[in-house]
Amino acid sequence: MGLRNALLVARRQVGSVREDRYVVFLLGLVIALGVVAVLGARHHAASEAEQRARYQAMVERQWLEQPDRHPHRVIHYGFLVFREEAPLAFFDPGVGAWAGTSLFLEGHRQNTANFGDARHATGMLRFGRLTPASVLALLLPLFVVAAGFASVSAERERGTLRLLLAQGATPAQILAGKVLGTGAVAALAALPIGVATLVIAGSGAVGPVSAGRMAGLAGIYAAYLAGWVLVTVLASSFRASSRSALAQLIAVWVVLCVAVPRLGASVAGAVHPLPSRAEFTARVERALNEVGDSHNPDDPFFRSLRDEYLARYEVVSIEELPVNWGGVVSREGEAVTSRIHEEQQRDLVEGQRRQDRILSLAGLLSPYLATRDLSMAVSGTGPEAVEAFRAQAEAHRYDLIQRLNDLHISEIHYENDRAQRLPREHWAEFPTFGTRPPPLGGALAGRALALAALALWILIPLLGLGVARARLARVGVERAAS
Amino acid sequence: MRARLRLLRLDMLRLTRSTGVGVAVVLLLAIGVYTAWRGGRNIEAAESSAVAAETGYQDQLEYLLSSYPLTTEAGEVLYYLAFPAPQPSLPLAGLARGRTEVETASLRIRLLALEGQLYEHETVNPRLAAAGDLDLAFLLIALLPLFIIALTYDLVSSEREGGTWNLVRLFARPRRLLALKLASRVCLVGAVVAVPVTVAASLAGLSLDGRAGWAVALIALHTGFWFALCLGVASGRRSSTANAMILVGTWVALTLLAPAALSLANAILHPVPEALELTVRQRQGYHEAWDMTKDETMQGFFEDYPEWSDRTVPEDVFTWSWYYAMNHRGDRAAREASAAYRDVLREREGWARRWSLLVPPLAAQLALDRLAATDLGAQLAYQDAVRQHHERLKTYFYPHLFAATPINAVDWDGVPVFEPAALEEGATRAGFPAATALVLASILVLAAGARLSGPRAD
Repeated sequence: MGLRNALLVARRQVGSVREDRYVVFLLGLVIALGVVAVLGARHHAASEAEQRARYQAMVERQWLEQPDRHPHRVIHYGFLVFREEAPLAFFDPGVGAWAGTSLFLEGHRQNTANFGDARHATGMLRFGRLTPASVLALLLPLFVVAAGFASVSAERERGTLRLLLAQGATPAQILAGKVLGTGAVAALAALPIGVATLVIAGSGAVGPVSAGRMAGLAGIYAAYLAGWVLVTVLASSFRASSRSALAQLIAVWVVLCVAVPRLGASVAGAVHPLPSRAEFTARVERALNEVGDSHNPDDPFFRSLRDEYLARYEVVSIEELPVNWGGVVSREGEAVTSRIHEEQQRDLVEGQRRQDRILSLAGLLSPYLATRDLSMAVSGTGPEAVEAFRAQAEAHRYDLIQRLNDLHISEIHYENDRAQRLPREHWAEFPTFGTRPPPLGGALAGRALALAALALWILIPLLGLGVARARLARVGVERAAS
Repeated sequence: MRARLRLLRLDMLRLTRSTGVGVAVVLLLAIGVYTAWRGGRNIEAAESSAVAAETGYQDQLEYLLSSYPLTTEAGEVLYYLAFPAPQPSLPLAGLARGRTEVETASLRIRLLALEGQLYEHETVNPRLAAAGDLDLAFLLIALLPLFIIALTYDLVSSEREGGTWNLVRLFARPRRLLALKLASRVCLVGAVVAVPVTVAASLAGLSLDGRAGWAVALIALHTGFWFALCLGVASGRRSSTANAMILVGTWVALTLLAPAALSLANAILHPVPEALELTVRQRQGYHEAWDMTKDETMQGFFEDYPEWSDRTVPEDVFTWSWYYAMNHRGDRAAREASAAYRDVLREREGWARRWSLLVPPLAAQLALDRLAATDLGAQLAYQDAVRQHHERLKTYFYPHLFAATPINAVDWDGVPVFEPAALEEGATRAGFPAATALVLASILVLAAGARLSGPRAD
């Protein structure tokens, strides 16, 4: 009986939405936008991925086609890696646009990844991007508001709320029905994006997408939109008029979806400013200057290293060493410079994480921010994916350089060092680079705050609706009495 | 006149007593003053970045000159020395940050191949950047219109729905009344704009030059556009909720959808594979030279620098002149891809500028970025200036490289200083098209509102 009443109210709500030409127009617009976003973002992501794969293959070929070369020569030739985007980047590109795309790996230094969508974009980018994720997280809530702001208040204004109560529907049933009806309309608007995403991800054209990630995305956005449905019906039941309910809901949307995320990011940047690129470069230089220079054999650090080697092999000059001293200097120098670069880089990343923590706190205020954060984590396009690429590329770089140094030490004679070359067959012995994306569990584990924010986003309006239920009954009584 | 003033005061009172309006005013003023303060901080950050580039260079030079034997060839020290190229920013850049969040204006470049160094970017936290930037320009262009909508969407409909319309019509003619109500709202919005702009002017050291003048004019015109749009919609006979939905829908379309859709279209229409192409080519062009005869490399170098073609490089020993000529070979190999890369970005910028004129908030925002020289065009101009600086450094040091000059014989104080990029365009050229577009758009929405809103409200 209770369920039947609720379903009747839900049907009534869907019916009133269908009669509203503004809302029907908006529904068409949201669906069209969602489809355009999926297709456009897919096209863009595919052409980006194709480019990176093409150049990666070219770089690998060029590596193998190197002639006979001195290993130290190859250390400077280095290797270029291109960051692969996650398969779901077409759905939610996450932070990818602001992270570099191509990274040059060479000896003695750590470069930063260059290029990327944001570097090639005009000032328009700051207004946001048209992606399936942004349609779901930013625009759909506004549609939910349009479809539901009058759900309860219009009944009250028309006097039909009293009628419904008189016919035996309890306040709880009415509210549940309004939530179900508005939720059904919201689901209808979100469905095309979900289906299109599923079809593209399922086709395998973008790479393997696990069912867990798809289910995770469905769950996140379902919870987020459910929260908006609850908040909308809540405001509609609390406000005296539909007009003020609409005004209040739009204000809530502006604050949660537009103002708080940007304000949070701005404050995080102000509280924990990062060193500028110029400052960072200067710090690295200062730190490197303190330990010495592997290109300078008279450097104190390397002089003590030489004494250590001479003692170990019980000889008096480096010429007598059974290993190539030049290669040893290069290898030890690389270990030192890599450590320094890594320390500075760790400082920088820690600074970013401090900023992230402030943004996560802002996420408690803005479910939009929390949802975007979870969405990019599940899509594999969050900051941890960028950091994983950087760390893996650095590990690859270090391994590559030290293998070359080892070849220098063992295969090249100290005498007349630079005139010798290593046969090109060696180049095929090196491992190729492939990114291992961070696992889903790890990405979510660091986001307890965002998950909590999303849970609160549903719980708080639910509690509110509990209060509204009591008020709704009073409304009926008061009206009936007057 | 007196009666009208009294009505105006009454309306102002009614406006400011509403809790919603009060909260919005306080919030807007608070965020406005915050962004103005942040604008000043942004300028300071840019300045300290320029200082860091300069002192980083001086420290490095001092370290190299003191730790290397004085007979070391200049070429060896130049391998480690990165020269500063700081571009000073305009005071407006703090308020309309444009792309400065991702771009550095304080590059440091070595005498090595330039294409491998030119595209370094700022130490941006991608997660913050993805959340979106907030500056005074964004507040006034994107958020302020929502406040205007909230103040005006029920300009007439609230009176009609409240049953007071017929009553107030007894006291004043509807058109005059509408003008009065509008005037009080314009005053309120004007105050909300004026406070942060004034604070910004003092904090960011904004002087009222042509650029700041055009910026203020654009903000005023853009604000005017939203008033015109709201008036056009609100003076019709629709209900308050219909007005609100139409106006907020228009805001979403103009401020979120159109820019996002245009950005996506721009990226699809103008792909930039050249970015990766030039990277691959520069690296390959330089390293190939190690496996070629020195003469072959030098011939290519002399083609670009015929003034040094009488110099010779020995084939059997390492020379720094040859080493840097190999680096030049890398830039030569990437030259075509690099030019194509710049062309695509210029096309993107031009395309965005043209299409933005159809979307008032975009027109205003992009014009503000142009006035502040924080747009893509300014970034490309900066890169060109860095290119020229690299050439000047080569001109200065190549004679030393050929002569194998030791470091103590180089005049380090005479090293060319970076000449910042000249402003790409004057204030008028940057501001005028958008201003015209905003005026036309305002006239258009007023006229369309008058025509479409059906019978007038009187």
